Amino acid sequence: MTNVETTGETVEDAATTALTGWLARTTNARDVRVVRYERLPGGAIQDNFLLDVHVDGGPWHGEHAFVLRTDAPTGVAASLSRAQEFAVLRVAHAAGVVAPQPLFLCRDNDVLGREFFIMQRLPGIAQGHRLTRETALVPDGDALAYELGANLARIHAIRPPWSDAVQRAHQAQGAPDADNHGEPVAIAPPPAHPALAAIAEYRRWLDRLDDAYPALEWGLRWCERHAPKTFDITLIHRDYRTGNYLVHDGRLAGVLDWEFAGWGDPLEDIGWLTARCWRFSGVEREAGGIAPVEPFLRGYEAVSGRRISREALDYWQVMAHLRWAIIALQQAQRHIAGGERSLELALTGRIVHELEYEVLQLISRSGS
Amino acid sequence: MRDISDAADLMTTAREALLRDLLPALSGERRYAALMIANGMAIAAREHRLGTDAARNEGARLRNLLDELPPSQGERNDAPTDLSALRKAVRAAIRAGRFDACDAAVAAALSHSAADWVAISNPKALRT
Repeated sequence: MTNVETTGETVEDAATTALTGWLARTTNARDVRVVRYERLPGGAIQDNFLLDVHVDGGPWHGEHAFVLRTDAPTGVAASLSRAQEFAVLRVAHAAGVVAPQPLFLCRDNDVLGREFFIMQRLPGIAQGHRLTRETALVPDGDALAYELGANLARIHAIRPPWSDAVQRAHQAQGAPDADNHGEPVAIAPPPAHPALAAIAEYRRWLDRLDDAYPALEWGLRWCERHAPKTFDITLIHRDYRTGNYLVHDGRLAGVLDWEFAGWGDPLEDIGWLTARCWRFSGVEREAGGIAPVEPFLRGYEAVSGRRISREALDYWQVMAHLRWAIIALQQAQRHIAGGERSLELALTGRIVHELEYEVLQLISRSGS
Repeated sequence: MRDISDAADLMTTAREALLRDLLPALSGERRYAALMIANGMAIAAREHRLGTDAARNEGARLRNLLDELPPSQGERNDAPTDLSALRKAVRAAIRAGRFDACDAAVAAALSHSAADWVAISNPKALRT
């Protein structure tokens, strides 16, 4: 799909013509007009388009601000399909998680050539370097961190089995329209031991590369030796961090980018949000560069009843850096070997050194 | 002192020209692209100056670690000499748990090497 210029009142080209026809059928409208259709920046893995439409007739009659989300030409392994992501977002949204409402799923490749879904467009700013630097955007970091904790706890209140989670979402929102949602979509079953499963997966990834990474190996071995004996299994987001949520008027407006969600240890999300590598300009503020960790954990505990130990934070921050290192190496591969020459991907690969360094710092701080 | 510019000096000078002469004329996505280019050039210049030593020192540290290991059953401790093979040998030993008993030595060696590479890729991330 090419980037479409906005010209006057109505956007028309092959993609939007197919899209308007499909949208009109899906919304039972007489007619749908695309007023604005533009690729949104920042999608290394997914392509997001801003989509403003005018719906004429039917239950959706009126003006709508949507986001259309589809696969980028190449992605990262282990991400959900758009149909799965749509299903997860429905479950989360129905459980009261602050996130965009998912509206329509299209699994018919004849419309845009790829699966896509449409969701509500929320106001706000997501850029991590701005949120962690501009106090006008986040006047009360502690309050935002508290909301982030409480909201994460609402995700972690969703438990397997998947069929029950979907059932509860349907009860909360009404049964899905068969035309929109088609066959029920499943996600991968819960791992027997989330931390050990992650370690095994990261090693498999490392084994596909030409070189070896002793510092990452050392971190993985440390995580294996210190693997938690007991754990919870809930829905986890797996990319819940600054940069992936919208802040509007200083408040949490919505959590984005659900493509890595699945069953896992909820502490993984807590380690990811608090890890140093996701603090942008606020490295000293442990809760995502926004605030100290305490208000975030208070919000989390208020909703979940779970109290998080320093030990657990350290363990899952090590895991977070290991995971980000593996993803950075995958991004580098897209540039080096995947035929996708890109300075941004190349520089992402160079982050690996910092992540190795941070893994070793964290391990030495936690002792052996 | 050299008589003419080496690779590191060329990179550094080209980067300075980019930042001084071009960047002020750019905005938005182009400005972001120029800053990424400047970052790539800075890394390349630092790697030209420091990369050979970082690789050699990492190799020496990994070889020392392997030399200290008790020989595993039925094989001699013949540490390889090139860096890529050394890294793989250390990976195998770590995964097999053969370094578990010498935590401190391994952590120190790996930390030194990681710091050397961070000094090239992003020295601002180093902590003292």
